[in-house]
Amino acid sequence: MNYRDVFGEILADHHESPRNWGVLPDCTRVEQGYNPLCGDKVSICLLLDRDSSGSERLARCTYEGEGCSICMASASIMSEMIQGKSIQELQGLIEAFREKMQGSDEVFLLPAEDSGEDITALYGVKRFPVRIKCALLPWTTLKKGLEAAHAK
Amino acid sequence: MNSLIRKDFPILARVIEGKALCYLDNAATSQKPKKVVDAISRFYLETNANVHRGVYHLSQEATDAFESVRGKVRRFLGARSEREVIFTRGTTDSINLVASSFGGMSIQEGDVVAVTRMEHHANFVPWQQLAKQKKARFEIIELTDDWRLDPKDVDRVLGMKPKILAVTLLSNVTGVTNPVASLATRFKMAGTTILVDAAQGIAHSEVKIDDLGPIDFLAFSAHKMCGPTGVGVLWGREALLEKMPPYQLGGNMIAHVGDLDSEWNELPHKFEAGTPDIASVIGLGAAIDYIETHGRTRIEEYEQSITDHVLEKLVQIPGLRLLGPTDPHHRAPIFSVAIDGVHAHDLATYLDMEGISVRAGHHCAHPLMFKLGLPATCRASFSFYNTFEEADMLVKALAQAPSFFARRRN
Repeated sequence: MNYRDVFGEILADHHESPRNWGVLPDCTRVEQGYNPLCGDKVSICLLLDRDSSGSERLARCTYEGEGCSICMASASIMSEMIQGKSIQELQGLIEAFREKMQGSDEVFLLPAEDSGEDITALYGVKRFPVRIKCALLPWTTLKKGLEAAHAK
Repeated sequence: MNSLIRKDFPILARVIEGKALCYLDNAATSQKPKKVVDAISRFYLETNANVHRGVYHLSQEATDAFESVRGKVRRFLGARSEREVIFTRGTTDSINLVASSFGGMSIQEGDVVAVTRMEHHANFVPWQQLAKQKKARFEIIELTDDWRLDPKDVDRVLGMKPKILAVTLLSNVTGVTNPVASLATRFKMAGTTILVDAAQGIAHSEVKIDDLGPIDFLAFSAHKMCGPTGVGVLWGREALLEKMPPYQLGGNMIAHVGDLDSEWNELPHKFEAGTPDIASVIGLGAAIDYIETHGRTRIEEYEQSITDHVLEKLVQIPGLRLLGPTDPHHRAPIFSVAIDGVHAHDLATYLDMEGISVRAGHHCAHPLMFKLGLPATCRASFSFYNTFEEADMLVKALAQAPSFFARRRN
C-alpha cells in the first residue's frame, strides 16, 4: 500500500506537481494563512481587476506554501479553479467547499474516482476528521484575502 | 512485566477500525488504570461533600480523604512537610502560580530570568512574559548538537547570576533528561531560585526532592502519571512559600476578611482558592498507590529496556531522522522523528492507519521547533504498559514509511 492507494492519484499529483506556484509581483493583495497547530503555511497572491462589464474579478492568483500533502494539494486544486472568477463566484466556491468538508454527514470515497473535477478528490479527506482543517486552510486564506482587498 | 499490567487499563483492550489500540502518545497523557477511575467514581458515589467546610461527618470524611493525598504526595516526593504541597489545576497552573507570585514579588528591572531551549510553552511563556512586564532580561540556555544543554551556554547564563532558572527534568520532544541536581547546585551558589518542570519526568522516573539538589519549586500534573486530568501539584520550599503573596483570591485561602482588608490562611491553603477538584485529587492519590504497587524501580528498568530496544532499531532505518539522543542513557522512551519530504501530519495519519496512535505537531515547544528548523515532528512516547510488540509495530511501520510516501519519478 502506498500514498496513492489511500489518497488517490489526483491528490498525489497536485502535491508533487503544484499548479500556479509562485509570487505575483504586482498583485492587489498577499494573504498569509497559518495553522499554528501543525505549522501549515500558505501565502496567496491575488490580482483583482474588472471585467468588460465593470464587475470585479480575480484576474490571476498564485500561491506558495509549506505544509502537509493535503493542505498543499488543496491549495493547488483551488488555484486551478479560481482563475478569472468573479468575486461572487469565488464566495460561492469557498462556501460550497466549506459546506462539503464541514457540513452535512455526506460520505465520500477515498481515493475518489476521477469525476473530471479535481476538487472532489479532497472530499474524501473527511475520512480523517482532524485533517479537514488542512484542506480548508487555503480556502479560508483566500476568503480573508478577498475581504481584506475589498476593505481597502 | 506488562501482560498483567495491561489488564489494569481497560482502554488498552479497545479495537479501533479493526486494529488493537497501540497507544504511543503517553507524553501527551497517560491512560488510567481502573483503580484510579474507581477511586474517583467511589468518591462521588459514597463520599462527596465539600472539603474544609462542613462540621458534619460526611464533610470530614471528604476532607480526610482529600488531605490524605497531600500526605501521599509528600511521601512520594520525599518532601519535608505537607505545608509544601499545593494542589493546582496542573503543571501549567503550578508554574503560573510561581511566575505570578514569586516572580511578581522578586523580579526587578534588569534582573535575569533564565529558561532553556527545550522548555514546553508552559515553562517558557510565563517567564518570557514576566521578564517583559518587569523589564528583566530573558535568557535561553541553548542546546548542543546531541540535544542536551550546552555546558558552555550554561556557564554563560550562570555568569549572569539569574534570579530565576526554570528548567525541565525531561524534554517532551527529544526525551533528554537534564542533570537538574548539578545545575541546581551551581545556580544556587549564584543566588538563583530554581523551578523544575517535572511534567514528563514524574512519569518516567522516581522524583525525590532531595535527589534534585537545592531546587526551590517543582511542578507536575496527575494526568501524565496514570491520574486524572485537571489536577497537579506545586511543591515549594516552605520558607519561600511563606513569603510569597497569594496567587488567586477567594474562599479557603483566607483566614479573616474585613471590610477593607483580609488576612491569608496558612500554607498550603493560602494558594488554594476556591473549591478544588476534590475527586481528581483522590484520583491522584490512587495513581500514586498504583505506581508504588508496581514499584518505581521496576517501571524504570522496564522503560529503559524499551528505550534501548526502540533506539537500536530506529537508528537503522534509512531516511529517518531521530530528533533526540541516540545514546540510551539519560533519556526517556520519547521519540520524535522526521522523514525528509514527508510532513509530520501525513506521517501521523499513515501511522494511524497502521493502528498506531502518535502525536504530530509542535508539541507546545515552538522555541525548540524553530531551532530544529521544522514546523512539526511526529512523536511516539511509551509508558510501562506498552509492549515490545507495540515497539516493533512502530519500527516496522516507520521502516515502510519512505516507500509509502515514495513520489513518482517525473
